[in-house]
Amino acid sequence: MAEALLVEGMETRIMSDITAQTAPPARWLTRERVIKWAPLLVLLFLVLLFPFFEWLEDFREAKDHIYLADSRFFSIRNAARIAIAATPALMVAIGVTFIIIMGSIDLSMEGTVSVCAVIFAFAFLGWGGTLASWAWLAIPLALLVGAVVGCINGLVHVRLKIPSFMASLAMGFVGTGFALLLTGGDRIRVEDELFRSLLTVRWFNFPIMCYVALAMLLIAWFIQSRTTLGRNFYAVGGGEELAHASGLNVSRVRIMGFTLAGVFFAMGALLAVGRIGIAETATGNNFMFISITAVVVGGTALWGGIGGVWNTLVGVLIVNVINNGMVVIGLPNYVQDGVLGLLVIAAVVLSTDRKTVSFVK
Amino acid sequence: MYELRQVDKHFPGVHALKAVDFKVNRHEIVGLVGENGAGKSTLMKVIYGAYQPDGGDVTIDGTVVRFQNPRQAMNHGIGMVFQEQSLILNLTVMENIFLGYEQQFVKFGIIDWKAMAQAAKAQLAKVKLDIDPATTTSDLSFAQRQLVELAKVLTLEERIDGDLVILLDEPTSVLAKEEVELLFGLVRDLTKRASFIFVSHRMDEVLELSDRIYVMKDGAVVDVVAHDAADIDAIQHKMVGREVDKEYYREQKQKPYDAAQALVSFDQVSCGRRYNDISFDLHPGEVLCLVGTEGSGREAILRTIFGLETPTAGTVKIKGEQVTSFAAQSGVARGVGYIPRERKIEGIVAGMNVYENMTLSQMPNYSSGGVLKVGEEKAMARTWIERLGIKTPDVYKDCGGLSGGNQQKVVLAKWRSGGADIMLLDHPTRGLDIGAKEDVYEMIREMSAAGVGIILVADTLEEAIGLSHTILVIKDGAFQKRFDGTPGAKPTLYDLVHHMI
Amino acid sequence: MSFIKKFIEQETVSRRNFLLASAYGVSGAAALRMFGPSPVQAMTFADPTIAWSYRNRTNPYWNEIVSGGEAFVESLGKSKEALTHLINEGSSEKSLADVKALLAKTNGELALAIDTNDAPNARPVVEACAEAGAFVSTLWNKTDDLHPWDFGDNYVSHMSWSDEKPAEQTARILLEAIGGKGGVVHLGGIASNNPAIERLQGLKNALADYPDVELLDAQPADWDTQKANQIMSSFLTRYGDEITGVHCANDTIGYGVLEALRAEGMSVPIVTYDGNPQAVELVAKGEILATVFTNPHWGGGITASLAYHAATGAFKPSEEPNEHREFYGPTIMVTPEDALEFKANYLDNVPTYDWKDYWGPSNGPITYK
Repeated sequence: MAEALLVEGMETRIMSDITAQTAPPARWLTRERVIKWAPLLVLLFLVLLFPFFEWLEDFREAKDHIYLADSRFFSIRNAARIAIAATPALMVAIGVTFIIIMGSIDLSMEGTVSVCAVIFAFAFLGWGGTLASWAWLAIPLALLVGAVVGCINGLVHVRLKIPSFMASLAMGFVGTGFALLLTGGDRIRVEDELFRSLLTVRWFNFPIMCYVALAMLLIAWFIQSRTTLGRNFYAVGGGEELAHASGLNVSRVRIMGFTLAGVFFAMGALLAVGRIGIAETATGNNFMFISITAVVVGGTALWGGIGGVWNTLVGVLIVNVINNGMVVIGLPNYVQDGVLGLLVIAAVVLSTDRKTVSFVK
Repeated sequence: MYELRQVDKHFPGVHALKAVDFKVNRHEIVGLVGENGAGKSTLMKVIYGAYQPDGGDVTIDGTVVRFQNPRQAMNHGIGMVFQEQSLILNLTVMENIFLGYEQQFVKFGIIDWKAMAQAAKAQLAKVKLDIDPATTTSDLSFAQRQLVELAKVLTLEERIDGDLVILLDEPTSVLAKEEVELLFGLVRDLTKRASFIFVSHRMDEVLELSDRIYVMKDGAVVDVVAHDAADIDAIQHKMVGREVDKEYYREQKQKPYDAAQALVSFDQVSCGRRYNDISFDLHPGEVLCLVGTEGSGREAILRTIFGLETPTAGTVKIKGEQVTSFAAQSGVARGVGYIPRERKIEGIVAGMNVYENMTLSQMPNYSSGGVLKVGEEKAMARTWIERLGIKTPDVYKDCGGLSGGNQQKVVLAKWRSGGADIMLLDHPTRGLDIGAKEDVYEMIREMSAAGVGIILVADTLEEAIGLSHTILVIKDGAFQKRFDGTPGAKPTLYDLVHHMI
Repeated sequence: MSFIKKFIEQETVSRRNFLLASAYGVSGAAALRMFGPSPVQAMTFADPTIAWSYRNRTNPYWNEIVSGGEAFVESLGKSKEALTHLINEGSSEKSLADVKALLAKTNGELALAIDTNDAPNARPVVEACAEAGAFVSTLWNKTDDLHPWDFGDNYVSHMSWSDEKPAEQTARILLEAIGGKGGVVHLGGIASNNPAIERLQGLKNALADYPDVELLDAQPADWDTQKANQIMSSFLTRYGDEITGVHCANDTIGYGVLEALRAEGMSVPIVTYDGNPQAVELVAKGEILATVFTNPHWGGGITASLAYHAATGAFKPSEEPNEHREFYGPTIMVTPEDALEFKANYLDNVPTYDWKDYWGPSNGPITYK
């Protein structure tokens, strides 16, 4: 019995900390709500913060500058730039979101992205080199490769009972090595105008790749909220024992989760190639840091069961807005990495109810 | 000597303690009872320093004290034996006992383990526990851990001058009957050294042990009863504000079961060293109770039926079909529902909402081609929320935020809505207050009337006797005796205990 | 229990041997020092193992270097596999440990070409080789106080490139192309890398002669295409049309910049560095104004060749002048006019180099500031 009261007591106590025990608390401002919306608030704050610095700079130089209206950061064109930068990372981060919801972790993204990008480019060039030919088959091929790599990941993790971070990290190295073997260290240029229209053709100011990413996000949302698979991810992450005792095939859910993540990694690879026009072993570089950071900053709990793809969207945008904004306001480069690190910590602090987590390992 | 005077505690929107007067005398055992939410936990937290009161005074020997944290309270001789055992399992017993107070054994920056072991041995002697202080805590039984915990609190004796007050929060919840007796003997013995505040759900235990009993309701102390004047019915009446009648276990609703067919048949089933040569049949509408001490094999039998354990010998038939593959999935497919003891671990997924929890075991019924029919899920959830009277604002509420009783109802709804007609209930009323317990009894009768076969491992023997059609007594994994539980012809407590131990 | 006794005995013996060996090692090294710079008669080998020690092959630049090493080995009539690869993955410790292991394995019969990952690591590597009687040639990294001539024949040579001058040349081409006025941005390599510093300095040197051109911003893009792409799009937000030219620290960065411009449908003159095949093609198309070819293929081959030929005794390093022991590698400017010709000569057909013409294409002795 004590547990019910304990939980209740905790919440009320936290509330009393916030409201300093004076005014009766407004019912809508619960800590739960604050935590839920914190990532979005952080994003909004950042979006308003960078234009402020721009305004400050012009103000110091006594130039005319209306806050927001004259901001170069706060403009459609820059929004499109941030979106372009964010799309491949968003795909990768969505993939890993599912895994983290399950309470596992997947660190194979860099290798998977590289291998998918390179195989896609080889197949694309080999089968005609333009989307208008059979070369379009390279796209499903790349997604298939992603699925296979993910599936192997899952099988290694589940069947050999190796912790997921280790299994996937190792698979990632295998992927990078395989991509290197295929390319021998060379870059492959994908110059097909039709394929590159992902970047070059714009609808309403945003290039097509952003709409592709949006579509994938909606698909991911559907999977998360409307399919048994998505529900099973949450069940496994929230209570693996219980999921098992409710008759779920937990091993199968895990393997399918990793497979699905692999497909999204492949999607990230396609968009990365679409953005740069180059497939190489280095295509996957930096995706690990940015995707895991984005997922965590977005408020998905690393211990599983909490969060989702919308959180990840917000997280990816936060990281990219920071990256873009720091250059736009002309922050010296040696400060940028430090600021990014601090902002990440701040975002995690705001978005995690650490009172419910007594120990963090 | 330890006294609370007119202590008040507010939380926003809640007046948790209302002018509470509370007193503990030297060498006294004080009982504290009350329903869920009556304010017991808050009061205890005020006593051991986790909460600071908004009004009133805390005094020790007449001097007003104010604790900022539990450590300060400890330094004034107030120790807490936690309900959820607070020992760190991968440390040794002595490390646990002196956790945070290792400094006394440190010489030149190095811990003198021998001295610590000796000191630990002395502490363990106080609770009459003869174990090696270097044992890893996880190797101990629950009862032993409880005693170590008590020994840990008793180290206060050496550390501080003055009297000790020790809080025991549900110390018996994980103990078997004989272990409880042992603990009580010990506590009575220890009153030479300390005073105790004893909090428990088990009214009989409180009555047995306490010199005086504080009864709380809605944040206020409604009565203080002396040991000799205590009467269970009267106290329960005060606690809940209603009569707990003789129909507690809904015996009038116990209907004969259909003996013609068997839902579950065990034929000389053994499972390793857990249980041996067990045979029984479970019929539709029957409540079959497995009675035995902790570790007698009751849980293992439930787990076998559900498919979590594979038997080593014998045949298990469910609905006439022999079971060959033991897996939770097949258990669910055969219509077996399982409500395990630890709701937090195995009952509900915290973080998932009410309807998600309810459909967890039956997603294929609420989806087609892997796509969920969320509308149907919610509709089902609403039906069951109404049917079982689950107290939740809506179907979107995170189950982790519901009270224990309501969590239990959600779990029941999960299996019942999925059409499970064999229900395995492991301590379904553990940790529930009286009102919630009665709801569970009502549900059991209702399920039974609907032709569901129920195998029950009850929280108390009274419960087992009151609820069941059939009682099987098991001891050390072996079948002892079968009792018939038809109303009017029910066995007595003595009959059962006789075969249990 | 006898096995324990045996084990202890064995241990004692091997310990003693170890102590003896290390004592010998110390005095051996001391003896070497005592004779100082005077040439210790180095033993040569008929068929030494040839090894290349480098970061890894993911980077196209290092891929080119190593392919040069392989080409050299093939010119000896051996198969490619005869070249031993020591891959340090960016760890100086691993670099040194691998070299020591190979020295032990080959008994010092080794011709080693190496980039020691960072400058301080060059000394222990060179000392280990000299002590074991192996022959080593270094590329890129060494400290200024470490010189081949201090080690007799065993430290054969060191080759490096000065990027400041060529980077200045590309900058001048860029600044001319934008008519000597406007604003340029620079996207650099990893900020602490020496080439990154030199290439930015080259731009600054050139800017001194063009007072009407402003250096709007310089950010490190870590030699990475995707990072360069993001930084360039952020630059476009900050400076927009003020950017009239882009100076990139290498080709990889250039690709990212080009794509960022393409995304906006913009075209701004850019110059890059390294002369990778794809960059040369882009120069031919006019999308890049200029790049600098440093011939890593030749560099990788000749470094291995120097070590090998010194090891076989084909030439005696200690008899060569200092400018043959420490020298700059070649640089070739690639501009739209000569890009196709350059491509035909150097890229489409890898020229068959005379690996015994050790210093022909080199660029003079290394000078220290």
